[in-house]
Amino acid sequence: MIDFVLGHYAYWFTIILLAIGLYGMLIKDNLVKKIIGLSIFQTGVILFFVSVASKWDATVPVKSEAFPITEVSNYMNPLPHTLMLTAIVVGVATLGVAFALLITIYNRYETLNEQELLEKIQ
Amino acid sequence: MKNYIQLFLIICFTALLLFASMALPYRGDVDNQMNQETSITGTEVPGNYYVQEAYHDAHTNNMVTVVLGDYRSIDTLGEQIVIFTAGMICFLLLRKHREDE
Repeated sequence: MIDFVLGHYAYWFTIILLAIGLYGMLIKDNLVKKIIGLSIFQTGVILFFVSVASKWDATVPVKSEAFPITEVSNYMNPLPHTLMLTAIVVGVATLGVAFALLITIYNRYETLNEQELLEKIQ
Repeated sequence: MKNYIQLFLIICFTALLLFASMALPYRGDVDNQMNQETSITGTEVPGNYYVQEAYHDAHTNNMVTVVLGDYRSIDTLGEQIVIFTAGMICFLLLRKHREDE
């Protein structure tokens, strides 16, 4: 039982993070808060992949003399780290576009509240 | 009323993910299938190759750099096109507003 909790708690924290992000996206009315929720959700997914990639008694994927590379279990798998690096960079880019859109929306409609925005658009 | 439906959806989502995480292997366990050197069908996994041959192929100590810059360089180029597009979109969006004034 204690082994089960120790082996899974990282996944549970990630799931809590995903739930918080989804809460921000679905329930909050302020568009900035929605984007914060989106960002938290994204971070949760990235953390999930990184925590899946972890390996006990293994070091980071940087070649060093102390750990021979012939023994693969000495190093973590570099592939998830690389892919999450890509995901972080693309996430930051989309975040920038979202904020630029928010600035445009605020300049035109003078509000960032979703309900007010829907009324003003109609 | 609308908020209750959304809260219900979030709770369902969380419960589904918690249920699914029960079947995941222990974090970091060396005996996991995802930490093995061969896949289920017996072929070698790419991570195995990267760890063993990255220094040989690119003479860089950091394997993540080798994967990002050498093995997946075309993908990284595409990623930079995404960044460039995002920058252009930001520029155009913010510039158009100044013309309106």
